[in-house]
Amino acid sequence: MPTPMPPNPAPTVKPYSLSLDTWAVIVALVLALAVRFDVLKNVPW
Amino acid sequence: MASSTSLPQVQSDNRLLSALNIVPGILLLAGIGYAAKILERSVNAYAKAHHWTFPNIEYVLWAILIGLVISNTLAVPKIFHSGIATYEFWLKLGIVLLGARFVLADVLKLGGISLALVVIEITLSLALMTFLGKLFKLKPKLISLLAIGSAVCGVSAIIAAKGAIDADDEDSSFAIAAILALGALALFTFPAIAHGLHMNDVSYGLWAGLGVDNTAEATAAGALYSDAAGKVAVLAKTARNAMIGFVVLAYAIYWSSRGQAETVSNKAAFLWKKFPKFILGFLFISLLVSFHTFSKGQVGSLGNLSKWAFLLTFAGVGLRTNFREMSQQGLRPFIVGALGEILIACLTLGLVVGANRIWGL
Repeated sequence: MPTPMPPNPAPTVKPYSLSLDTWAVIVALVLALAVRFDVLKNVPW
Repeated sequence: MASSTSLPQVQSDNRLLSALNIVPGILLLAGIGYAAKILERSVNAYAKAHHWTFPNIEYVLWAILIGLVISNTLAVPKIFHSGIATYEFWLKLGIVLLGARFVLADVLKLGGISLALVVIEITLSLALMTFLGKLFKLKPKLISLLAIGSAVCGVSAIIAAKGAIDADDEDSSFAIAAILALGALALFTFPAIAHGLHMNDVSYGLWAGLGVDNTAEATAAGALYSDAAGKVAVLAKTARNAMIGFVVLAYAIYWSSRGQAETVSNKAAFLWKKFPKFILGFLFISLLVSFHTFSKGQVGSLGNLSKWAFLLTFAGVGLRTNFREMSQQGLRPFIVGALGEILIACLTLGLVVGANRIWGL
């Protein structure tokens, strides 16, 4: 008698997540665009 | 059926919760940073009004000191922890935006010099740390982690190497604690030595970028000297960070050849995975500035945004430095790290002095 194959585990969907580096680049580019198109003007220090 | 329809709802709720979790800690970082700015201005104004001879303490040092006092005297409530951990995000955001303050020609010139010095520094640091680790009879994988951490880029390099060489948690926490403790000491010793030697901004910035291990501490050590030195320190440290993949790959191949780590099948994919992507963002912003995409005022705004991001980083550096926790990690790895770091600091100082004579920094 062949042993029955165990049922395949239910497929799990791994949520796609970006690395910290990628987030830093995305946020920096959004800020650069905001500055370029004068959404953010004369940021003080 | 019910579970499949409710899953996205649960996931989005979790994401919303974790996003809200970081808010208190970020507010704490911002509060400390802003307090540091106010302290810098008011203490200097008070000293000037009363004709006191008082050293100009910059916001960088105030932010680190306030953070250090809080983390070493009070128990920081758990509600702030995940937000404080975002200091690394602010560091990387600050570095990418700092690209606006370099035209590509500067990056190529200074970055080229830095890269040449980095290759020498990494080779000598790896050899030195390995020698010291064997001398003090540390465990072989702990020696590898300490060597990678001190040669390349501190904590990130140790975390990247931990998985690649299959090191255990205890070894990596020893190595991380040693690197962090020594980074905290470097914050105060590097600027003091440089002032004593009357180093110029570029030479000091290069030295801080080459000699201080963790990126946050290297950035802070540079900024503590001057704004210009801070810029150069970030550039030199970034050149060092770019080498992380090559060094970790070499160690992974070494340990897998001894049957103590997994074999690296696709070396190009491994290098790309370990490469710090924020360096590409830094270069891209620098490229945009070099092609005059931004007006002078806009470049100033981007530079100021970078400073705000660094301000939160400096507050985080102070807050996550807990001397009591570090002292519990054992003395021998710390002694090896300290001896190695002192020698590496002398060595990199010699390299920078030599580079200054050759290229006139």
